[in-house]
Amino acid sequence: MIQKKVCMVGAYAVGKTSLVSRYVKSLFSDKYHTTVGVKVDKKTVEADGRTLDLLLWDIYGEDEFQKIRDSYLRGSAGYVLVVDGTRRETLDRAVVLQNRAEELLGKVPFVLMINKADLTDKWEVETDAVTDLGGGGWPAFKTSAKTGEGVEEAFQALARKLVAS
Amino acid sequence: MSAGPGPAAGSGDESLKPGNGGEAAEAPPGDRLSELRALLLAAEHQQVVQIQERLDDPRTRAEDVSRVLTEAVAIRSGQDHSLTDSLLPTVEEAIGISVKRHPEVLADGLFPVMGPAIRKSIAATLADMLETLNQALGQSFSKKGLQWRLESWRTGKPFSEIVLLRTLLYRVEQVFLIHRKTGLLLAHVSADGANVQDADMVSGMLTAIRDFVRDSFGGAETDTLDAFRVGERAVWVEQGPDAALAGVVQGNPPRELRAVFAETIEKIHRDMARDLEEFEGDAAPFEKCRGDLEACLKSQRQPGEAGATRAKGARRYAPLIASLAVILAAAGLWTWTTVRRDRRWGRYLEKLAAQPGIAVTASGRRDGKFFVKGLRDPLARDPGALLASEKLRREDVVASWKPYQALDDEIVAARARSALAAPATVRLRADNGVLFAAGAAPHRWIEEARALARTIPGVSRYDDRDLADADQKALDSALQALEARRIFFARGSSDLAASESAKIAAAAREIAALPALGSAAGKEVRVEVVGRGDSEGSDEANLALSRRRAEGVLAVLRARLPSAPLAATGVGSAEPLAPERTEEEKQLNRSVSFRGVIAGPRAPEAAR
Repeated sequence: MIQKKVCMVGAYAVGKTSLVSRYVKSLFSDKYHTTVGVKVDKKTVEADGRTLDLLLWDIYGEDEFQKIRDSYLRGSAGYVLVVDGTRRETLDRAVVLQNRAEELLGKVPFVLMINKADLTDKWEVETDAVTDLGGGGWPAFKTSAKTGEGVEEAFQALARKLVAS
Repeated sequence: MSAGPGPAAGSGDESLKPGNGGEAAEAPPGDRLSELRALLLAAEHQQVVQIQERLDDPRTRAEDVSRVLTEAVAIRSGQDHSLTDSLLPTVEEAIGISVKRHPEVLADGLFPVMGPAIRKSIAATLADMLETLNQALGQSFSKKGLQWRLESWRTGKPFSEIVLLRTLLYRVEQVFLIHRKTGLLLAHVSADGANVQDADMVSGMLTAIRDFVRDSFGGAETDTLDAFRVGERAVWVEQGPDAALAGVVQGNPPRELRAVFAETIEKIHRDMARDLEEFEGDAAPFEKCRGDLEACLKSQRQPGEAGATRAKGARRYAPLIASLAVILAAAGLWTWTTVRRDRRWGRYLEKLAAQPGIAVTASGRRDGKFFVKGLRDPLARDPGALLASEKLRREDVVASWKPYQALDDEIVAARARSALAAPATVRLRADNGVLFAAGAAPHRWIEEARALARTIPGVSRYDDRDLADADQKALDSALQALEARRIFFARGSSDLAASESAKIAAAAREIAALPALGSAAGKEVRVEVVGRGDSEGSDEANLALSRRRAEGVLAVLRARLPSAPLAATGVGSAEPLAPERTEEEKQLNRSVSFRGVIAGPRAPEAAR
């Protein structure tokens, strides 16, 4: 059994906790977000014939008032960037966070989850904007915490990258 | 021999050999230098050669090492554990290979110690169990134990946890080995009964909390969270360069425990340095650290509990002994009571089986009660009434009886008595289907019994030969009394003397009762008034006189009993009451007597 530390980062209220609470194993209460600022959960995935335990550090959402602690990001083998598809500014925040993560962790695997795919009629994030990110190298997934769309695929993709790295 | 310039000194060994010195005069200058060197350094050269030979000869080298090996091992072992740690993998591997190849060798070697080891292990386990049992009993029955139970009830915590809290000075419940950089769990051990959550996630959160505290209070990167306390538990963290050891401790641990943790994390860093450096998420190599971590699962009881208890010697077993005695006494009492009840129950069943009209089909014990099922004739004895004779309580017995008609002689007799409404003067007895009646009974009952007896279940024949007809007997007695009466007359006279009138009145009363008596006995009764005379005189005269005498008495009776069936007749001297050998006998024949005449036989014919 291989374990990997994976951080989930994104702007405030992009739906990270909803993704986590429905699709991973939780032990701790959500109140940890408002106290410690992070909640550790676990998701077991199969990738390339190997079983991985992803220890997901669900870090509170960053906004203009509070910043993600670098110490929480340290030691991560990969990370998940989460964006709210109905709020364009969350994509900008994700770009900032990705730069900071890369600065801190180096070029480790990550995936971009564009959340709230069930509300595409209200989307502000354009496909072109996502495609252009990182020179087109960002692995992006439309996800919905409500319907589950794209969630497993995104975690699978990240797991494969972690195994390969 | 002279020295001079020449080619560089030869380095060949052959030139240095002392044996070549005899040809030096003819040797070239280079050889002369060699010769000089041989002369000056021959002894040292010899030693160098010998040393070289020793170094080149593995056997000699081994002999040299063997001379110092023992001492070297002893010295190093006294300094630290590194020699043991170094040898451990090799020794383990060697033992493993030996076991696979020649298991009998190890088995033979271990045989002498296996028996004692097993016995010692069992003894230790039993002693521990006894101690635990003793403590549990002591805690259960003591005032303190009751307080703890109350606390358990009040707080909702299990009693065992309260006992641990109050009797343990401390106990290390869990130990986490955490990769410092990633917060991933490398290894985890826990004590029996510890509340263990998902160790992977707990490990992550511990790391997060460490980071949070350090960030929040401005610590340096090297600063760490060494300890924190939550209620009854403390978490002690011992940091190493690449991994941290976190122990969850219940109670108040001593400072010495910190040293144990520190030594353990140091040893793990020493043993697993490379694995820690190269850790990429695979925790499998750290399985071998479990032994070290388990050594950290220490606990210590409060002196007042275990230590003092042991010091009390035999007294420590007092609660156990007392409890065992109580248990044994209770068990003995229970056994004795049970056996006694079972015996009583057995006797009760025997009595039931012997009871006519009761057939037991099933019996036993169910749900703590006795039960009995069977058939019972309504005329049989009440089974419940028999319980008291065996001191069994009705509430302890569940009885279920189905009605049936028994053919037991006693029951048949009882059934006949009930069906025939037999009077108390009648005795009924059944024998193999024959109903025997004895004693006395009214005539009517006798007649009815004869008609009904064979319709009673269980009666095939009725025999009342020994049964007397009470009404017939009464009639016979009345007639007998009447027939004993004599109305006397003077010689040659048919006049009633005044003294005889009272006799006639008495006879009249007896005659008046006869119709009723006869009716009860099923008979018609008539009374003949018979007149007599003595043998003196002629027969004709005596016959006429006897008729007058009878008619005289009949007239008096008719006056009293107009409808009574009476008739008068005179027999003269033909039927004398006495042989007339004396005057008194002659007087007997000068009289009137009474004769009862019954229509039908006077005695009832017995039924067959």
